[in-house]
Amino acid sequence: MQTRHSLTDRIEETLIAAILGLMTAITFANVVARYLFNSNILWALELTVFLFAWLVLLGASYAVKRNAHLGVDAVINLVPAPARRALALVTVALCLLFSLLLLKGAWDYWSVFAELPPTTGRWFPTGLDWGARGQGWYEVESVPMPDMLRFLESWINAGEAYEKLPRAVPYAVLPLSMLLLTLRLAQAGVRIWQGKLDRLVASHEVEEELETIRAQHEGQG
Amino acid sequence: MEVALLFVVVVVFLLIGVPIAISLGLSSTLFLLWFSDSSLASVAQTLFSAFEGHFTLLAIPFFILASAFMTTGGVAQRIIRFSIACVGHLPGGLAIAGVFACMLFAALSGSSPATVVAIGTIVIAGMRQVGYTKEFAAGVICNAGTLGILIPPSIVMVVYAASVDVSVGRMFLAGVLPGLLAGFMLMTTIYVMARVRNLPRGEWKGWGEVWESGREAGWGLFLIVIILGGIYGGIFTPTEAAAVAAVYAFLIACFVYRDMGPLATQGDGANTSLLRKPWALVTAFFHPDTKRTLFEAGKLTVTLLFVIANALILKHVLTDEQIPQSIANAMLSAGFGPVMFLIVVNVILLIGGQFMEPSGLLVIVAPLVFPIAIQLGIDPIHLGIIMVVNMEIGMITPPVGLNLFVTSGVAGMSMMAVVLAALPFLAVLFVFLIIITYVPWISTVLPNAVMGPEIILK
Repeated sequence: MQTRHSLTDRIEETLIAAILGLMTAITFANVVARYLFNSNILWALELTVFLFAWLVLLGASYAVKRNAHLGVDAVINLVPAPARRALALVTVALCLLFSLLLLKGAWDYWSVFAELPPTTGRWFPTGLDWGARGQGWYEVESVPMPDMLRFLESWINAGEAYEKLPRAVPYAVLPLSMLLLTLRLAQAGVRIWQGKLDRLVASHEVEEELETIRAQHEGQG
Repeated sequence: MEVALLFVVVVVFLLIGVPIAISLGLSSTLFLLWFSDSSLASVAQTLFSAFEGHFTLLAIPFFILASAFMTTGGVAQRIIRFSIACVGHLPGGLAIAGVFACMLFAALSGSSPATVVAIGTIVIAGMRQVGYTKEFAAGVICNAGTLGILIPPSIVMVVYAASVDVSVGRMFLAGVLPGLLAGFMLMTTIYVMARVRNLPRGEWKGWGEVWESGREAGWGLFLIVIILGGIYGGIFTPTEAAAVAAVYAFLIACFVYRDMGPLATQGDGANTSLLRKPWALVTAFFHPDTKRTLFEAGKLTVTLLFVIANALILKHVLTDEQIPQSIANAMLSAGFGPVMFLIVVNVILLIGGQFMEPSGLLVIVAPLVFPIAIQLGIDPIHLGIIMVVNMEIGMITPPVGLNLFVTSGVAGMSMMAVVLAALPFLAVLFVFLIIITYVPWISTVLPNAVMGPEIILK
């Protein structure tokens, strides 16, 4: 088990903790506002939902790094080590296929909102479609535009003011997270190739706790 | 035909070790590219709309967080003390108390393996000390631990509610009676076994101990009152109730139990009083313990929700292709009735439940069987409870049930030994499954009484 904590580990862990903390705080504040001050924070729900999506999508790449993705290990536990390595390599290849396809999809979906060209091609990007009509003017439903993002107005909205947050901002997590997922999967692939790792999945959520208990049993026995 | 292929691909991916989320996402994406005219951009959109379009799912991270705060410290210990004070003096008392503790703990945590770990580590050791066999202890906890997903609040129920659009409040209420019934059946079995085999009993420590330990455990157990009371009193939405519960759990863990955060003391000494360290009111929010708990809950949220988000891509495929409808028609024209259908669902879930984490399995199977069940006139809430109970049993069905595995780790026994130990109680839960499947009243009476009869839209 990896116990060394690099700077990236700490950044990722802090980010995961911070987003969840923020989601809880906003939702709780909204309840308080409703019952104590008799008013609603109109954008609370939408902002929480965006944070939720950011948490899960960005966290997915961290989970690859920590081997925390849930999966079925019944078969891989049965086969001998060389077969397991072969299966793990196939698995990584399939996962990479997924993340690359989704990376293209995420880019195509997001780029329009950011006034950038989507890619052409159905399966694989074959070029950039400069003729696609941008939708930089598209706003979210209720989250207001923060002043620190005003520079986006000249970038993607022809200088016109936004009243609400442009869609390009929350959706940016899609290409970003798929890119990170691809990188982490590639790293996992290398570790499997080197024989340092034999699977991508954990079979349940308490695997780490069980390791600790096992270690205690051995300590006593 | 293509759809059969889709499911074969999903299963093959799963078995060779592709993460559940990616198995579902990749096979659905390939299917869409091959057999429909959807673009990759629309797949990405579906992935994002898993969060944007399903507000119910938002309750899951908060429930996970609440139970993370509740399980950091000595909540399990306090619950066990309370349970022993209540029922420890009966024949087989410690075992019955173990079941009771699992039931109470299940009300704080929505997960079965977590219940086994929290209660099992303490109770199994305790039972061996007073003379129970290791096998008996492991068998009891392994089975009682499965109640975690049946007694509300339950993450699996939120997942079901979100994936088929029924009310979370109804599902939670529906789980109450079956949860109590299952616990009662297990306790009665232990009581009978204890009488026959003359198992040890503890001593009655008096009402003082019940009151004292109940007051201690009550701070934690009040969480369930906030959640259920808040939802049914119309004060909160389920999501808000979960968030309030998370904040409550944080306050209790930091300032009342003081097992974590700035007021916790390492080692045996009593935890520091808030009066002696008032600045803890501020520092608690930034304490490393708080951050670690937030992070652990966040990590669990990520792994569960990434599966669910990808399963929603699969659901998108199924709905587009009208698969459930065609299966339903095939079943109806072949003369299958509700009884036959429920047996099929039981078998699928019992098999699947052994290999897979329950939320992941449910989110695949629910959208498929739900429309069929509606056409056959099965109550959606009843179907949900059947599915949850099935997965409970799947977790303790040999050869590879999840809870068996976790228990073998906790008790330090081989898988085979745990399987044998769990068998007698497994038989009890099977009877329970049959009762639940064919007596819908147990599941539907409470939600219908509290929230009024349900309107089913076909």
